[in-house]
Amino acid sequence: MEEEEQKRVLDLVKELVLRLVSNSSSPEEESTIESEKALKYAMRILGSRMTPSISIDEASMAESIKRHLVNEGKSSDALTFADLHTKFSSKSGSGCIQNKWSVLYLLKVISEDRRKDKKSDSRVSSGFFASTVSGGLPVLVDESSCNSRKTLDKSRISNGNGGVLLISKDPENIRDIALRDFANLLKEESEIVEGCLVRDVLYVSQGIDGKYVKFDKNLDGYVLLDSIKVPKSMRIMVRKLCELGWLFKKVKAYVSESMDRSPSEDVGTVGQAFCAALQDELSEYYKLLAVLEVQSVNPIPMVSESTNSGSYLSLRRLLVWFAEPMVKMRLMAVLVDSFKALKGGAMAGAIHMHAQHGDPLVQEFMRRLLRRVCSPLFEMVRSWVLEGELDDIFSEFFVLGQPVKAESLWVEGYRLHSVMLPSFISSSLAQRILRTGKSINFLRVCCEDQGWADAASEAAAAVGTTTRRGGLVYGETDALEALVTEAAKRIDKHLMDVIYNRYKFKDHCMAIKRYLLLGQGDFVQYLMDIVGPELSEPANTISSFKLSGLLESAIRSSNAQYDDPDILDRLRVKMMQHGTGDRGWDVFSLEYDARVPLNTVFSESVMARYLKIFNFLWKLRRVEHALIGSWKTMKPNCISSHFLTKKDCPVKSQFDSTLRRCQVIWDEMNHFVSNLQYYIMFEVLEVSWSLFVEEMEAGEDLDDLLAAHEKYLRSIVEKSLLGERSQTLCKTLFVLLDLILRFRSHADRLYEGIYELQARTMESSLSIRGKNKSKPRSTKEATEFGSWAGGGRKALTQRAGEFLRNMGHELDRIANEYSSTLEGFIGQLPMQQHVDLKFLLFRLDFTEFYSRLRVST
Amino acid sequence: MPREIITLQVGQCGNQIGMEFWKQLCLEHGISKDGILEDFATQGGDRKDVFFYQADDQHYIPRALLIDLEPRVINGIQNSEYRNLYNHENIFVSDHGGGAGNNWASGYHQGEQVQEDIMDMVDREADGSDSLEGFVLCHSIAGGTGSGMGSYLLETLNDRYSKKLVQTYSVFPNQMETSDVVVQPYNSLLTLKRLTLNADCVVVLDNTALNRIAVERLHLSNPTFAQTNSLVSTVMSASTTTLRYPGYMNNDLVGLLASLIPTPRCHFLMTGYTPLTVERQANVIRKTTVLDVMRRLLQTKNIMVSSYARTKEASQAKYISILNIIQGEVDPTQVHESLQRIRERKLVNFIEWGPASIQVALSRKSPYVQTAHRVSGLMLASHTSIRHLFSKCLSQYEKLRKKQAFLDNYRKFPMFADNDLSEFDESREIIESLVDEYKACESPDYIKWGMEDPDRAMTEEGSATGTVDLKTVV
Repeated sequence: MEEEEQKRVLDLVKELVLRLVSNSSSPEEESTIESEKALKYAMRILGSRMTPSISIDEASMAESIKRHLVNEGKSSDALTFADLHTKFSSKSGSGCIQNKWSVLYLLKVISEDRRKDKKSDSRVSSGFFASTVSGGLPVLVDESSCNSRKTLDKSRISNGNGGVLLISKDPENIRDIALRDFANLLKEESEIVEGCLVRDVLYVSQGIDGKYVKFDKNLDGYVLLDSIKVPKSMRIMVRKLCELGWLFKKVKAYVSESMDRSPSEDVGTVGQAFCAALQDELSEYYKLLAVLEVQSVNPIPMVSESTNSGSYLSLRRLLVWFAEPMVKMRLMAVLVDSFKALKGGAMAGAIHMHAQHGDPLVQEFMRRLLRRVCSPLFEMVRSWVLEGELDDIFSEFFVLGQPVKAESLWVEGYRLHSVMLPSFISSSLAQRILRTGKSINFLRVCCEDQGWADAASEAAAAVGTTTRRGGLVYGETDALEALVTEAAKRIDKHLMDVIYNRYKFKDHCMAIKRYLLLGQGDFVQYLMDIVGPELSEPANTISSFKLSGLLESAIRSSNAQYDDPDILDRLRVKMMQHGTGDRGWDVFSLEYDARVPLNTVFSESVMARYLKIFNFLWKLRRVEHALIGSWKTMKPNCISSHFLTKKDCPVKSQFDSTLRRCQVIWDEMNHFVSNLQYYIMFEVLEVSWSLFVEEMEAGEDLDDLLAAHEKYLRSIVEKSLLGERSQTLCKTLFVLLDLILRFRSHADRLYEGIYELQARTMESSLSIRGKNKSKPRSTKEATEFGSWAGGGRKALTQRAGEFLRNMGHELDRIANEYSSTLEGFIGQLPMQQHVDLKFLLFRLDFTEFYSRLRVST
Repeated sequence: MPREIITLQVGQCGNQIGMEFWKQLCLEHGISKDGILEDFATQGGDRKDVFFYQADDQHYIPRALLIDLEPRVINGIQNSEYRNLYNHENIFVSDHGGGAGNNWASGYHQGEQVQEDIMDMVDREADGSDSLEGFVLCHSIAGGTGSGMGSYLLETLNDRYSKKLVQTYSVFPNQMETSDVVVQPYNSLLTLKRLTLNADCVVVLDNTALNRIAVERLHLSNPTFAQTNSLVSTVMSASTTTLRYPGYMNNDLVGLLASLIPTPRCHFLMTGYTPLTVERQANVIRKTTVLDVMRRLLQTKNIMVSSYARTKEASQAKYISILNIIQGEVDPTQVHESLQRIRERKLVNFIEWGPASIQVALSRKSPYVQTAHRVSGLMLASHTSIRHLFSKCLSQYEKLRKKQAFLDNYRKFPMFADNDLSEFDESREIIESLVDEYKACESPDYIKWGMEDPDRAMTEEGSATGTVDLKTVV
């Protein structure tokens, strides 16, 4: 259809040209060449987009003609024209002339030309066509421009009317020629008009392919089709402008992709908020495009017509229009690009990073985005901090929860997810946020407490408005911090109150100190007294049921009976795993059942360490007990009054020396054990405890409490040689303790022998010492002295000598082994890294007995 | 199953200090004069059942036996406001009420006579306790009843309860003023023998020193018995605080004494107490710290045993053991600092033949007794200078014995019948060997002491002593 029309136009033009050219007298072939030239030219004029630089306004054109006629004094003509024009312009419908303005314009130009021709020689003939057509074609311009887009000459022609005279006093018309050349150039290079391109660009910037500008998948961008000839600069400009489209397409794709995804997929609330924010930005952009689109309808005036530049759009103008959206779009595209994998807090953090920009435009833009994006995040913080709710199905929040048992809720239940932690929330604040919510959950789950709600609402009231839903916005980190601080303060305080008052944390610590760390001396003593015989049996024959009964009676008969029944109820006997050959001593221990919620502090691993300490202290206590037991057998009034001490007794010296030997060894061992005990009491238990109490009172939250307790326990373990660093020392110590136990059995045998001896001699001397008031001691038969009975006094003495000699040897062996081990132990003490062991050394070597000994050897 | 301790107060002096002791305990435990727990005494933590038991009506009864041969003091107690405290079955007053006439032999003999009655009481008390720890005897060694009957009781207890501890609080006579008891040296010597052989621990309360302290420290121009007795009761109650307020250590008497008495014979303990106050006396209140208390306790002027040692001997005297019982609010870290300071200043001389150290026990103060001082301390120590006290006794005895004075009173009784004075000689011998042993303790070679007797060592047991490699003994 269009082609047909073009062909018809072509034919008409050809006919016109032939008509005009053929009336010259030139030869046939010449005329054909001429006519062809003319035709070509005509076509070019027609094809060009040159338009008159006057406004396209039928009414004003008509007015100008009328005025012209009036000016020439032909008022009647003017009236006639007005009448005709009215008729002309009222014609409409099919078959009528569409381009009325053009017709009027043509008529006007023709009439003016005619007038000029009359006045002076036609400049036209030497003008425009001269270069292309030899010979004057004076009216050609006028006639061929009937299709309206006729331009350049018009300025010159319309000397007197609205047109601007560009070239007037330039006889040679150099500029004119240059301009014409430029126009030619334009015409040659551009196959399409700029307006089309503008439209295309507008399409493209909405992500739609234009007529000429299309998306090229290979190049990943919009390009002007190669087949279309446009100037290079224009091509570049189009390319530049099309970037916007490309960016838009990206952003749009992201948004719609995110929006389309089902909620179960992990876009997340933050992601959604981000998309919504992008959407808003895009709609701003759409508004701009709509305005531009309206403007693009207006034709682009020619360069020369710049004076009445109205609201039209050229590529250059577009470039200006697009500058700001381009920046924004680029930012969005960057965000979109880099956030493909991000969500939640991480996304907010990433945007925040981009917001740290010197350009206020960028900054403002990012802040706007952040305000939107952060609101779900801050909402999460709010509900976490005030309600302990973790409604974070997309795991976007920087607090992660995991289902755990109640006792490990505090330690393992929640943790910070550092990836999701936006950088505008400091890690200390994040910790506080984590702890506050954790505290609430701890209270709720472990303490079964409801009071936290009051604390939370108090906190909310104290902070004020910011606690409203959505009240927190990005940029007001202070408000967030204030909320968190306030909530943390109150919740922590409440938690501490609950732990201390309702769950009596301190009482339980005290109970553990008194029972597991043997602080309740009388209780420990009774326990030692009554379970002692039981524990000497092989481990596998001991019934823990029976031991529990004994524990019970130890509690009843000591001051422990006045303790809180709840505390006593938690104290139990625990039998550790035993191997073959283990005695009860090796497996017996006490345990304390801390229960929820205190087992957060007294967790299994903590209790295992307490167990270790208990075993150590219990062993020490057992050794001490053994030593005191052996003191009882050698106590002053037991051995003082019998014949062996009489001066005339032949074995007196030997007897004395053996006994003294035994006593001195005992003294040394007792010195060691009791000073070790004093050290444990003062330097280890009491000092650690008083520090712990101090820290416990200063502690503001459960973490502080845990840390304080951990420190307390660690200090006990370290100082009582149970730590990693003092393993060899500890081993030596246990060797020493075992030696002491061995000594005890030797000493017992020695004294048993002596009593036996005493009894025998008394029996034999009963008759001599008539005044003896004591009734005979019970004699044990079948002991090593059994055979002495008949031997008489001399034999008895001899046996006694032998017995004492043997015992003396054994004591020596133990003593030697003991002193060398002890020397090793004391020698190692100064080399230990922890200072506290210096205290032990100080106590053991208070009189510098060992230092002197070392110097002398 | 508390480690019960039964107190026997014998004779005039014994009953007087015993009464003061019970008064003090009642105060500290919040027990009223009638044995009923005061309403304010709710703060648990103390063990009343070591020294008391509860009757069916819950009132507390001291585990105490009040024994005397004359009724004066005991009647006084029975007429005092504390009359309802004691178990009346536990009061023994001799029928004839004539006392022992300051004669050891008389007291001993009478003791023998009434032993069944008394041992009945002892057995009853012992059976009434779950795990009897031992006995505490309060007496004086100078008079007749406390010394003589006390001696007899010591022997009997030793015999019958050989596994139990026997501790005594023995008041030694005032040597500075002429005593009304001229036979004091005889009585003391004979009692000392029993204290050496039959007691496990003797806390020496030297009247001389007590008087001196009352005069010098408390500025009393003429201290009464009641005032010196209150010093004694302070010491007695303080020395039992760790038993009555259980802590990590020193919860029983054995544990307490075992470390104090490494060599069984040397079981005579000195005491010191600071800061001292006496009722109705406005003392200047000092600032008390652990170091301050511990330092004062080491000063001879605060020690309740007079030292008769000459300067040279005194410089050689050594501590065998020390236990400081610190009462009050004490920061445990101060203990170590104080010990360090004391060692730096070399304030204390210890034996050289074995390791030793100042033991410190922290004990709670009774919440019911208001004291002006924040920290107070009792020292129990075994010190070799105590031998001079015994030497003094010996020399006084020798003087009297040389004159053969007053022996007739003794010959009236079976032990010395037929002019058999071997008991005196034996006692003297034992005290002498005790003095020697203390002296030996001052030397670093204590371990070898008594074995250097050359002819003994070289005879049949030569090889035995030879095997004891003394160098390795540490």
